[in-house]
Amino acid sequence: MNRISAPKEYLRAFLFPTGTDSWLTVLRLGLGLQTTLYSLSLRNDWNYLLAGTSGLINRNLADALLSVESRFVPRLGWLVALGEHVGLGEGTVLSAAWICLLIAGCSLLIGFTCRVSAILAWFLHLCAAKSGGFVSYGVDNFMTIGLFYLMLSPLPDRHSLDWHLRGSRPQNPQLLGFCRRVLQLHLCVIYFFSGFTKCLGSGWWDGSSLWRALIRPPFNVIGPEMLVRWKYLFPVAAISIWALEIGYPFLIWSSKTRKIWLICICALHAGIGLTMGMYLFALIMIVLNMAAFGPGLICVNGARISLPRWNALSSTR
Amino acid sequence: MRRKNVCTAWFALHFLLIVSFSCRDTLRLVTQGPTILPSSFKDFSQKAEGIASIALGQRLAASNPVRRALTTYLHLAGIETGYGYFAPNVPGTYKLVFELHYPDGRMEYELPQVSNAAAGLRVMSLLDQIGRTKHDALREILVKMLAQSVWREHPDVKTIRAVLESVTLPSVREFEQGKGASNQVLYTYEFSVSEERNEPEVP
Repeated sequence: MNRISAPKEYLRAFLFPTGTDSWLTVLRLGLGLQTTLYSLSLRNDWNYLLAGTSGLINRNLADALLSVESRFVPRLGWLVALGEHVGLGEGTVLSAAWICLLIAGCSLLIGFTCRVSAILAWFLHLCAAKSGGFVSYGVDNFMTIGLFYLMLSPLPDRHSLDWHLRGSRPQNPQLLGFCRRVLQLHLCVIYFFSGFTKCLGSGWWDGSSLWRALIRPPFNVIGPEMLVRWKYLFPVAAISIWALEIGYPFLIWSSKTRKIWLICICALHAGIGLTMGMYLFALIMIVLNMAAFGPGLICVNGARISLPRWNALSSTR
Repeated sequence: MRRKNVCTAWFALHFLLIVSFSCRDTLRLVTQGPTILPSSFKDFSQKAEGIASIALGQRLAASNPVRRALTTYLHLAGIETGYGYFAPNVPGTYKLVFELHYPDGRMEYELPQVSNAAAGLRVMSLLDQIGRTKHDALREILVKMLAQSVWREHPDVKTIRAVLESVTLPSVREFEQGKGASNQVLYTYEFSVSEERNEPEVP
């Protein structure tokens, strides 16, 4: 009996460590900022990219292709159809969706109506990402992941406006720990597969893939004339990138290597943002990493703000 | 205790899906890619990818409720794709140029345009999808939609010729020897006013 229950208890202790809501504060603030910047970055092109007939690409095509897979995935077509029932034009509905997304982002930033804002941000962003499937890229995928976890997490956190206005009580610490653990494990899978697939390509051994990534439009922020001066560093940098990613799930858990690994990963994303112009992508990855593994490393007023001990088993008993 | 059991069950399913889809997409990359693995691995990964797809219900009919439910959840959680960004190799890119022919014989060139860099990344993503799709009909529809958007900006144009090119990037050595990116025309499409007006509306 003991033999059977030991692994089960171990797993349960690992999945439900006692935690504070500091990580949730980081996730809420980060995703609030991300959603706000995402909305602002598309303010001039939102209707043009997502319109049904008068835009860059007919949104109805993406919606129709999505319907083949599933009719229940949120899309802007639902909102437009709803708007038509009450006499609102497509442009008005799209503009309203953009404004609501911006408001949801700002609300998350200040922590006002956290749950509703998280659900609204997740829903509207998902609508835009799916209806604009032809013009979406990695950042949309990671925003969906982040907002999905935020929406399911035990909000509000103690640094939110909601907490102070409504006098909320502390959330179940094991549920907080569980939600954080899911995010941590998901990131481990992401980095492992990202690194593993890179190391399968010869270009990520000799550095040519890094060179190509940096000179490939529209990521060519730095001119090739300048890049070529650093050509001897490309193989080392390329191998370092996938080694860092593959090593993530193994070395992020140990207190001895966590700090350096987290710093390196965040520096990698900051580097991608600066050298390839993918600022929103860099921000979302840094936010997810800092929420998952940051609290406990960062000190506020000289005191650590999260788990006193990292070890999952020791923290639950 | 009951809540913990529910959470554990959800986590098990959620994590299984994340890992399974990541594995399947990795196998797909090995099948499609050139990789450093021996070519014999391609057959293996092709078979393994097929098995993984069957296990994940991806070979069921599109109308199958299990597949639909699974697909819906994957989209809601944002876990419907793998994480092989820029892997196993960084591909070349694509360029779409519109030649605008006016009734007076004038000709202008136009590229798909948006207002800032953030939206520009999205347009490049679109061009990559147009260039990579294996479905000729879809490619043509997408190019036609882009041509229509150009037409709205230039209503007096008589015909539009869309040229889709693949852009091959130079290696470091080639760049040092003075070679730049080289373009190769993949597809050309011609759209005229009458054809544009007669075209059935895209779903």
